[in-house]
Amino acid sequence: MSYMRLTGYADKFGVHPGDTIKFYVNCDGPAEYKVEIVQIINGDTNPRGPGYIDKPIEASVNGTYKGQKQIIHGGSYGYVPDAKAFHVESFTLQCWVWPTAPKTHQRYWKHGAQGLVTKWANDSGYGLFINEDGCLELRINEHRITTGIPIRDHAWHFCAATFDAATGDVVLYHEPQVVYALDPESPPVVTNLKLAIAHAPVPVALAAYVKTLAPDDPLAQSSKPAGVVFAGKYNGKIDSPRICNRALSRAEIEMMKAGAQPGLTERRNSGPTGKLSECIVAAWNFSAGIDTLFCKDEGPYRFDATLVNCPNRAMTGYNWSGQNFDWKHAPQEYGAISFHDDDVDDARWVSDFEWAVPETGVKSRFYGAKLTTSDGDEDFIPFWVVPRVGQETAKIAVMVPTISYMAYANEHVACNAGGAELFVYRVPIMQEQNMFLSEHREYGGSIYDTHTDGTGISISSRLRPILSIRPKYDHFLAQAPWQYPADLHLIYWLETMGYDYDVFTDEDITYDGLARIENYNVIITGSHPEHNSGAQLDALHNYTQRGGRLMYMGADAWYWVHSYHPGYAEKGRGIVTEMRRCESGIRTWRADPGEYYHQGTGELGGMWRFRGRYLHSVAGVGMSSEGFDVSSYFSRTPDSLDERVAWAFEGIGYDEKLGNFGLVGGGAAGLELDIVDTMLGSPPHTLAVATSAGRHTEAYLLVMEDFGFNQQGLDGTTHPRVRGDIAFHETPNGGGCFAFSSIAFCGSLPWNNCDNNISRLVKNVLDRFSTDGPLPTPPANAIKHRGRADYDPTPIEHQSRKARGEPLPA
Amino acid sequence: MERIPKKGSPERQRLIDEHKACMDSMKGVAGNSVLLCETPGDTTVLTGGVHADPVLKRVLLRMRGESPKGKLIVICTKIDGEWRIGRLSGVRGVPPELVGDKVYTDEQEIQHDIFLMRLDELSDSYGFPDDFHEGWKRKDDNWPIT
Repeated sequence: MSYMRLTGYADKFGVHPGDTIKFYVNCDGPAEYKVEIVQIINGDTNPRGPGYIDKPIEASVNGTYKGQKQIIHGGSYGYVPDAKAFHVESFTLQCWVWPTAPKTHQRYWKHGAQGLVTKWANDSGYGLFINEDGCLELRINEHRITTGIPIRDHAWHFCAATFDAATGDVVLYHEPQVVYALDPESPPVVTNLKLAIAHAPVPVALAAYVKTLAPDDPLAQSSKPAGVVFAGKYNGKIDSPRICNRALSRAEIEMMKAGAQPGLTERRNSGPTGKLSECIVAAWNFSAGIDTLFCKDEGPYRFDATLVNCPNRAMTGYNWSGQNFDWKHAPQEYGAISFHDDDVDDARWVSDFEWAVPETGVKSRFYGAKLTTSDGDEDFIPFWVVPRVGQETAKIAVMVPTISYMAYANEHVACNAGGAELFVYRVPIMQEQNMFLSEHREYGGSIYDTHTDGTGISISSRLRPILSIRPKYDHFLAQAPWQYPADLHLIYWLETMGYDYDVFTDEDITYDGLARIENYNVIITGSHPEHNSGAQLDALHNYTQRGGRLMYMGADAWYWVHSYHPGYAEKGRGIVTEMRRCESGIRTWRADPGEYYHQGTGELGGMWRFRGRYLHSVAGVGMSSEGFDVSSYFSRTPDSLDERVAWAFEGIGYDEKLGNFGLVGGGAAGLELDIVDTMLGSPPHTLAVATSAGRHTEAYLLVMEDFGFNQQGLDGTTHPRVRGDIAFHETPNGGGCFAFSSIAFCGSLPWNNCDNNISRLVKNVLDRFSTDGPLPTPPANAIKHRGRADYDPTPIEHQSRKARGEPLPA
Repeated sequence: MERIPKKGSPERQRLIDEHKACMDSMKGVAGNSVLLCETPGDTTVLTGGVHADPVLKRVLLRMRGESPKGKLIVICTKIDGEWRIGRLSGVRGVPPELVGDKVYTDEQEIQHDIFLMRLDELSDSYGFPDDFHEGWKRKDDNWPIT
């Protein structure tokens, strides 16, 4: 079957009125396609809800366009343009490698030889490779010299090759760093080839080789450099690659491991020797410029390599001592780059059309370029119209969690992770988008996926079609909308209830800080803003401290440390986000030792909790459990009767089941759940006004950061922390936070045409929070000293419903 | 380890009946669990299923922990309208293949048919020393981690 003949992306997530947004479309087959700009209101096709809803927008860009196929040249590599110095007669190539997938399945999408250090294409030139059989191989023109020894995966090896044109002598060295007791010897391979190297006008490639020069091929224009198509994308680390223009002795090769250290005098540097200095063509030092997209060449020609598709840097090198864990403190031990054949940082497509958003008349909302063909093909390219700072148009703003959307971008877990079923507790359902991605690995994965070689994906770019940010897309985790389409439940509700609002993205708040939000009375989050930049959390903190109001509409937020890679700043805001999964938290992969610090900003990755920024400190609650089978509902607690918050429950009975209905799991309490915990950052005056305690299935499990010892009793049928707590607390200067503590929560808003008790609760809160001026002053008796763990269990207001004689009806 | 009940055994039929009842009761829920909705399509009160039958629970866990290669999966072929059974390739870049011709018009019913197929396909000795092989030392032990 053929899936997704239309795919596309835009150059921006958020566009200001008066600015232009460009769209890039792959139309693989149909001769033409139709474009309509639409406001996207609801993305859920569930027949028990309102169904998909959009609203056409009059736009100059609406019309029919000629289709053109566009492809992504995935896989990371480095390259240096062709230069005379590379046209050597003799040579020595050397590097350290830590291959992670030296031998691949015959049906694997990129099965074949992998390039290490190459100046080779179509049987011309020279280069070091790992061949199809997983053995180190030297190529000189059409000749292949191999060790015949399968190179061990996930291990460091020193590799070198020399060719002396005068004698024809060829030596290929493969020296494993660790040799086990039963490993055979790996002697150098010696042979003789009487030939002259034929030099093709192709770039030097690191972790790849040039397949072809195709300056006139439209499909080659999205490669970098345009018109040069690379193949043999390598999986693994490379450290300290060198090229010299004569055949070195083994002793000289050893000396060259230290690289070029220019400016040798009696007082500084240790080499190489004068004779070696004369033959260096290039000596790259990957430990320099780790936060850039360039590899520094310390040789005489300054052949700095350009990196494509953002391979992982700040990776431990062959010489990592295990003493330093932050690359900034010991860069010389971080001289490795980890390349992957499915890395992607930019699809680099040709723009098909662009829309100059009018200065007026287009509200700040969720939009999409709706692409269709007469054959029934359809795709959407979502974007948001965001007001400029100072030109806000409403008192309410929705913070669109675009970093989280990027983290989940093009996620492959259902078909790649065998364990996926264990946490969703049913057989996963793959949508059309998943089927397309399963075949098109070049579209890249999500930060939940692993690369081919099992290493985690820590980089996500928005300059590629992100098929998970689509309406009409149910996610396997929920068997219902998740992230973008789930947040549309909230948008549908806002539209149906007649609220006026603005939208802005994680990018906007990260770069603009408090200025982005301080003019709003209330900020509403999405259902699952899990991935956050530090600047974003700072802005939210400053906002609520100054009297701002925050409605946290979901769960598992403020969890992972993210940073935008500075190397892409010239292309726009927030192009590439980075996140490393460190020693704790819910992790579909785990960063390797010594690789916890971001390559872009140098900051420690992992959970904000382990950087001393508790989740619960942002909006009063923090994640405690997750489960993905079905949802449950909330019951009110005595705290909900407190006059500080009783207004939120006007029109809602004390014994009502809150949200025992919904379009996500069938209830308002589900998927991932947050609780109040004053020991983990919830302010001591937080009111837990409703809870789903005791109602969750065994698929729900306590988060691993909350326990230190594997044990039974961690699931929803037994553990009291497997619950969601709806919570409220006041912040200084008339501000406040209301947390609804469940990812499924927003899925209940549209139920019964928005006429339900969840809708009522949210309306009560939003009406109060969006009112001008500070929230009403709390009663005088609420102002008192409170402990965190310490509290007095005797007052009636601290007792349970049962102890107070108010048990819930059956 | 829980052995897969043998074909034709009363225990196997009990698991099949319970699983079927659960899936029927889940019709209409935007999610799925092998539990019984007291009111069909409504998760307010859930009983039975894996909460009440430890054998059913363990058999399902073993099925769910299978490696991706050859694993059965659901493929939605028409949004909120049609679903078909597929089988994962276990090879990156090789998409799942459709299995059989049956088209389902309910996303819960297909879960039950996959359960039946897995009962037939899963090795009775899976997880026991009988099945121990070299791959168990190299993360190929049919209990993949994420």
